[in-house]
Amino acid sequence: MATLLVITVLLPLAGALVLFALPRLDHRDARRIALGTVLATLTLSLFFMADLNKDNIDPQFAFEMKASATGLSHTVQGLPWLNVPGGPGIRFALGLDGISMPLFVLTSLLMIPSVFASWESIKERSATHYALMLALHTGLLGLFASLDVVLFYIFFEFTLIPLFFLIGLYGGPQRRRASIYFFLYTLAGSLLTLLGVIALVILQWRYGLSRELTFSIPELTRGLATLQMPEWAAATTWNSPQALIFLLLFAGFAIKVPLFPFHTWLPLAHVEAPTAGSILLAGVLLKVGGYGLYRFNLGMTPLGAAYWLPLVTAMAVIGILYGAFAALAQTDVKRLVAYSSVSHMGFIVLGLFSLTTTGVDGAMIQMINHGLTTGALFACVGVFYERYHTREMGELGGLWNRLPLLAFFLILASLGSAAVPGLNGFVGEFPILVGSFSRNPTAAVLAAVGMVLGAYYLLHMIQRVLFGPLREPGAHVADGGHGDAHAHAHGHDQADATHAVAPIAWHEVAGLTPLMVLIVLIGVYPRPIMDRLMPPTFAQSVSYPPLNPVETTSDDPSLTATVPHNPARTDDAIVATGAATNQALAPAQDRVR
Amino acid sequence: MTSPEALLVSQRTLAVLAPEIWMILAATVMMTAGAFVSWPRRTWTRLAASVLVIAFGILFFTRNLGTEGIAYGAVALNDALGWYARMGLVLAGLIVLALAHDQVDDKRSAEFFGALLMVHAGAMLVASANELVFLFAGLELVSIPTYLLLYLTRRNATTQEAATKYFFLSIFSSALLVFGMAYLYGIAGVANLKAMAYLVQAAPGVLSRWYALIAVVFLVAGLGFRVAAVPFHFYAPDVYQGSPTLVTALLAWVPKAVGFLGLVRVLTAVLGGSILSEKAIVLTWVIAVATMFLGNTIALAQNDLKRLLAYSSIAHAGYLMIGVTAALCDAPGAADAYLGVQGIVFYLAAYALMTLGVFGFILALNSPERPVETVDDLRGLAASRPFAAFGLALCLFSLAGVPPLAGFWGKFLVFASALDASSGDRRFILLAVLGSINAAIGAYYYLRIVVAMYLRPPVGTPVTRRAPWPTLAAITACAGLSLILGLFPGPLFRISRESARSATSLPDPLVFSGTVESTVVVPPAAR
Repeated sequence: MATLLVITVLLPLAGALVLFALPRLDHRDARRIALGTVLATLTLSLFFMADLNKDNIDPQFAFEMKASATGLSHTVQGLPWLNVPGGPGIRFALGLDGISMPLFVLTSLLMIPSVFASWESIKERSATHYALMLALHTGLLGLFASLDVVLFYIFFEFTLIPLFFLIGLYGGPQRRRASIYFFLYTLAGSLLTLLGVIALVILQWRYGLSRELTFSIPELTRGLATLQMPEWAAATTWNSPQALIFLLLFAGFAIKVPLFPFHTWLPLAHVEAPTAGSILLAGVLLKVGGYGLYRFNLGMTPLGAAYWLPLVTAMAVIGILYGAFAALAQTDVKRLVAYSSVSHMGFIVLGLFSLTTTGVDGAMIQMINHGLTTGALFACVGVFYERYHTREMGELGGLWNRLPLLAFFLILASLGSAAVPGLNGFVGEFPILVGSFSRNPTAAVLAAVGMVLGAYYLLHMIQRVLFGPLREPGAHVADGGHGDAHAHAHGHDQADATHAVAPIAWHEVAGLTPLMVLIVLIGVYPRPIMDRLMPPTFAQSVSYPPLNPVETTSDDPSLTATVPHNPARTDDAIVATGAATNQALAPAQDRVR
Repeated sequence: MTSPEALLVSQRTLAVLAPEIWMILAATVMMTAGAFVSWPRRTWTRLAASVLVIAFGILFFTRNLGTEGIAYGAVALNDALGWYARMGLVLAGLIVLALAHDQVDDKRSAEFFGALLMVHAGAMLVASANELVFLFAGLELVSIPTYLLLYLTRRNATTQEAATKYFFLSIFSSALLVFGMAYLYGIAGVANLKAMAYLVQAAPGVLSRWYALIAVVFLVAGLGFRVAAVPFHFYAPDVYQGSPTLVTALLAWVPKAVGFLGLVRVLTAVLGGSILSEKAIVLTWVIAVATMFLGNTIALAQNDLKRLLAYSSIAHAGYLMIGVTAALCDAPGAADAYLGVQGIVFYLAAYALMTLGVFGFILALNSPERPVETVDDLRGLAASRPFAAFGLALCLFSLAGVPPLAGFWGKFLVFASALDASSGDRRFILLAVLGSINAAIGAYYYLRIVVAMYLRPPVGTPVTRRAPWPTLAAITACAGLSLILGLFPGPLFRISRESARSATSLPDPLVFSGTVESTVVVPPAAR
């Protein structure tokens, strides 16, 4: 299984190399190769999901998990990549658990609408386009499956290069600026994250119980929870080790999410990226930020998280409101969806930093939901952009009459995104609000305002684009196929039948249908999917502290009883977030009071 | 001089230095013969190449000639640092030679290739130096032929200006260095570097004199000029821009390697972890930060490729200075997870590949009909020359420190050594943070070149020059190795680790009879 996982991760890269080697390939062959690779990878990913043992919270499908002599740390074996004598002990170790698994599958799943969105729209240099997409696919799969911090970082940075070229070569008019902006912004943050990671490794090497130089994510998380360093166990000032390292780690992930003051790269990159790039960027790349916050910031520096809790919550809430207001002001549909991402990602961070089981679970589900709905929204925008070459709400209207199926998809995705009960967004955002209400009621109330605004701007968009009298600019000949666009001026109310816009094509339906099915399915009956996908989050819930910190005093026995120095406790809460958070909350509560 | 120990030391030292002696002899013969015979350039190139290959062979078989037993008496060491660095220098020399093979006319090729060999021999001497005067001789053996190289390939006003500037400043820096060395010798009473390191450990009081700091400041100043660190950087942009591309490549690589190897030998290995290192750290900390910021920010505004690379090489000197700062914390025998010298060695290897690679690509694409001198000249290269663009992009991404390329691991090790250098010391965390911010700033100007090549439409005529095979082989090696060492950095990790351990290791002095003092003050060679 472990070998199969490595193959799964590297499979898209193999496809990418084939396509890179054949740059002059016809776009029909190129897209077939790409689709074949993506489908194969998705099949393998689903196979892993089916095989995931939901009661086991250790990383699975890894090479040889074995307990070391001390019993405290498990050694995750990897391919002997950098493991030469005297080498740094960095391993090519891959494995999946209930947190990375859903994102792993989501990546493969969102590749399908991405490929289908490029099906007709990318005809020039298409082999390179699909090769870049597949390279990005490998980067993302590797990132979620990495069990080694440096390997994680390598995949993290590696995703920048294909996306840089995807935006830069195939994007809109401002593509060069967007790609440079995106690349540098992410690189700047991620370098700081790398420093934080190295600092953690060195601390665990110096003060950890095992005193091993380890880069393994599970070992590091466990080791840091039991660090024999007095300053580590208390984060009361901004420059205490945990608080500082939290900030270093936070820099990269906050930009990736993106949180409020660091979001400026996002609208530009999303709007300029080709549809496939937007789907992956919003659907998966942003989740890397959330995933990193969970794995690193919450998992490894829980006290730091507790220390900076007010700040991060404030950033998340401002992001929610700012993103929503900015989305309200947009006339370009793609830009509107981009700002809605800022708003929704704020919810995810709010959920994570509620530091409650409910909130974190909600955030994890919401990451999947946001990937599905925003991916679908971008795909829908791509569908009508291809036909009309505009995304301006002022130039479009009544598309319901022209493209009913698209209208259906767009409405469903928007309602899912607006968290209408019965669709997937509600399943994620409701627990987030519940969780954050117990931590910080003001933040929850403000976030709920953001939710209302979210419903408003999405419905407003639907109303303008889909309903009312049909308004469409001259359809493009090349895309409409049989439309005689040049006969018409850039006019309005052109409802005559000769102006036929190509009906929604099979590949567009095929790209959107799986997303729609999941949007409804998760909304109506989330239980099986949540059960399968989230075991570690739920498993840790036992070790989370009582929900309302305002009512709980720090000398409450329920808090002190579960501090991680109890070895039995530590063994149970393997990913240690839960256990360590207990410790984390004490100072937070002090400040709350 | 006839005692058996002295004989042993001399024999062993000569055997260890056989590759350098061979190279210097061959170079002397070539330069002398050049005056009497008029062979074509090709012959001289082949001669020089075979000299380097033979030197590589000799070096390869001298690996087991240990110098641990004679470390306190020998002028040269054959430890892991010395051996690996010399191997690397010879290999880089082959790359430089391949790039140089068509860059000089027939008349001057004998002197040119002779000087090239001497520069490399000098660099190798520095890598193995264990004695102040020997180290200085090695440094001068790099400098003096460099003046020749600067002037030989092209004789016009800009080259003259560059050569003159370099000449005077180089002399000046040598003077500073000698001044520092004199103080160091005056304090320690020995010129042998291992002996000095031992003395610093055994009797830290020697460093408590106030003028010990003068030694440190002047050593850093003298070698700081070689590596183009702020505030001794100001010659670099003008000299780089004014010199022929090949010489610029050489200047960007050899003096940098020599300077940092010198700093490792004479500064960090001697003073690491001593009472003086605290002050030296402040000095190198400031230099590192100033160098990185100046190099990176000014490079942002450059359009001339060579000038841009000059500032980029200044910035890289800054990253390497982080390694020096970290290395100053490592006392002899330190077994930290990451040693400063480890970062320096890895970084230098990666730097050689990527910098020589970038210059090599410029050299390979440039022609009088279609010059490639500015960033805009590279526009649309991906369309006309996809492989060249790809290789150049690899080298540039490596310079920017993007994984999985060699440059990333260099930065990784340097930053890790800074974070590991002194636990909880906020200055080192700040240094690493500033370093990583600079890496992000620096990424911009490398990315600009990539953007020009890939994302901008071509201007003017497409680049047509087809480089001859040695140049192609050299640039392919640079780009390919940047990628391969990035994907599989394990061996280089091991090499750099071994080198770092050997640089600070102090062999047991009791091999020799008598007390510590007598061993140190009276090395066996003098007995």
